[in-house]
Amino acid sequence: MDNEGFRIPRRFVARDAVVDEVERLDKAIAAAAGEIAHHRETVAAELGEKYGAIFEAHLQMLQDSRLRSELEEMIRQRHYSPEYAVSRTLRRYAQVFQRLESSYLSERASDIFDIEKRLLRHLLGRRREGIAHLTSPVLVLAHNLTPSETANLDRRFVRGFVTEIGGPGSHTAIVAEALEIPAVVGTGPFLTEVSGGDLVIIDGDKGLVILQPDEEALARYRHEAEELRTLAAKLEPLRDLPAETLDGVRVQLMGNIEFPYEVDHCVDRGADGVGLYRTEFLYLGAEIEPTEESHFQAYSRVVLAMNDKPVTIRTFDLGADKMPNIPHFDDERNPSLGLRSIRLALRSLPVFRTQLRAALRATALGNLQIMFPLICTLMELRQAKMVLADVMEDLQEHHVPFNRDVPVGMMVETPAAVIMIDHFVDEVDFLSIGTNDLIQYTLAVDRSNKEVVGLYNPADPAVLKLIAMSIAAADRKQVPINMCGQMSGSPLYTMLLLGMGLRRFSVTPSAIPEVKNICRKVTLTDCQAVAARVMTMENARDVKSYLKEEVKKRIQAIVPE
Amino acid sequence: MSETRATRTVVVTDPAGVHARTAVAIAETVRRGKSRVTLVKDQEPVAATDVLQILTMVTHQGETVTLEAVGPDAEAVLSALEPLFAGRFGDEAAKSV
Repeated sequence: MDNEGFRIPRRFVARDAVVDEVERLDKAIAAAAGEIAHHRETVAAELGEKYGAIFEAHLQMLQDSRLRSELEEMIRQRHYSPEYAVSRTLRRYAQVFQRLESSYLSERASDIFDIEKRLLRHLLGRRREGIAHLTSPVLVLAHNLTPSETANLDRRFVRGFVTEIGGPGSHTAIVAEALEIPAVVGTGPFLTEVSGGDLVIIDGDKGLVILQPDEEALARYRHEAEELRTLAAKLEPLRDLPAETLDGVRVQLMGNIEFPYEVDHCVDRGADGVGLYRTEFLYLGAEIEPTEESHFQAYSRVVLAMNDKPVTIRTFDLGADKMPNIPHFDDERNPSLGLRSIRLALRSLPVFRTQLRAALRATALGNLQIMFPLICTLMELRQAKMVLADVMEDLQEHHVPFNRDVPVGMMVETPAAVIMIDHFVDEVDFLSIGTNDLIQYTLAVDRSNKEVVGLYNPADPAVLKLIAMSIAAADRKQVPINMCGQMSGSPLYTMLLLGMGLRRFSVTPSAIPEVKNICRKVTLTDCQAVAARVMTMENARDVKSYLKEEVKKRIQAIVPE
Repeated sequence: MSETRATRTVVVTDPAGVHARTAVAIAETVRRGKSRVTLVKDQEPVAATDVLQILTMVTHQGETVTLEAVGPDAEAVLSALEPLFAGRFGDEAAKSV
């Protein structure tokens, strides 16, 4: 998939179709040339000859005789489809330029991509496959995927994806999790190395992308995929068993979801509820603000599917730049420290109220709880609760049914929230630790920055101390506390967290069986000993390697990071 | 008409090396003449009318390129080409580029 979302439908052509295919190539070259010549005239007339010259160069590059014979040979000798031949050949040329130090000539790579795109557009014509209209299984390899592109991915056909930019916390990564497909984001440039139709292996666990794998790599990965299927099959019978330790401590194991359809993934794995229902998808990629009705439709689908099991809905957790119809400053230098999430909600009350109205209406249908994200100060929490109370009054006036006693809670994801946790526990019905942000803000690290991402570590003792403080404060006041970051879904930390006193885990649905498996293989006493030992350690590496050993001792299966 | 063969080795003095505009000018100059011209760098010959190939040779300032022409106006074509490697495009070349 390139920037414009082309997809090469097939790699080879039938032997007897070769003549027709070469003719198709020639027609595409002629059509592309006509188009470029036309651009050249228009641009030269409007801006002057100098600008037209850029297109003259494109035109001549396109009409290069060796290029033409190389393409023809690929079709005649190797039976490549013209699309595949064009993509492969032009990417090879682009590589020559991309490798150059000198900026002037390296820019020619983008000219080559432009030519490739033009040719593909003509070759594919109406058969061009957009990412939203797939007809067969694909891997999506792209520079970047916009939120709307990721949201519109046809999940029946996308089997994995890779993007050149973006970090593990990016929306793209979250969507990959929702789709339960392997994804690697933020690889850096690699698209010139690969063409549509190529064989590619995506290893989401290790963050590896293998282009044109050799036989050995293929065999290894086939074997690994087989083992994963076996493991999944082994864990399947756990579905209807409770998440309970050997000494009888019951754990609530819930799912994190973003899209309503994911509720099925939760039900399939026997989740005890939805611990985190992210609502960002309703806003992302939307041209206009979502209506109360579209919120309500999404929420009621999830609440009804979970029957009487709890569903915790988190109000929108986005920056202004990602919200339709909310004015924003372009020069926000530090978006993660800027106007986002609850801060933005409290400044955009009509948008916030719309969401709260829909959520409250959905409380009439089942067991729904409302949670506010990124709370730093008591004032923010109180303000958010005031808005909620106000919306309740409004609904009551209009005789719209809702649950007046809806549990209201907050995310614990900033160091400030943990430091003030003794006060917060007096004002909420429940808490949920969001480890992704908590780690980022505690260690002051941007996960999408490769230079510092090494600091980002759930096992860092500073993070663990904050988690311990939160659990202790919640326990003192008997306030239920959940954990919904990626950490809670990693089997590596299950024993530690149990030992620290956590009894509610909300994880990506696909992680439910593995976490449950660990819960059922350990005793609480055992976990408490592990936690006590970990809390004496001084650095993340020691914590991790110790935990790996401890988990391995008890589970005879693969334990990913 | 007699077929003559001419060869000339030029040093690229244009600070930007052989860039897109140079390549286009080379191709157009050769097309206006009656001879077949080949550029050779590092023993790799490319047709002087193939702009993509000329660019792919990646020629920086200070490197040498050998020009080989075969045809009735071989010498004249090479003389017309030589200034292009110094970044001098002249009026006529500039008009078409």
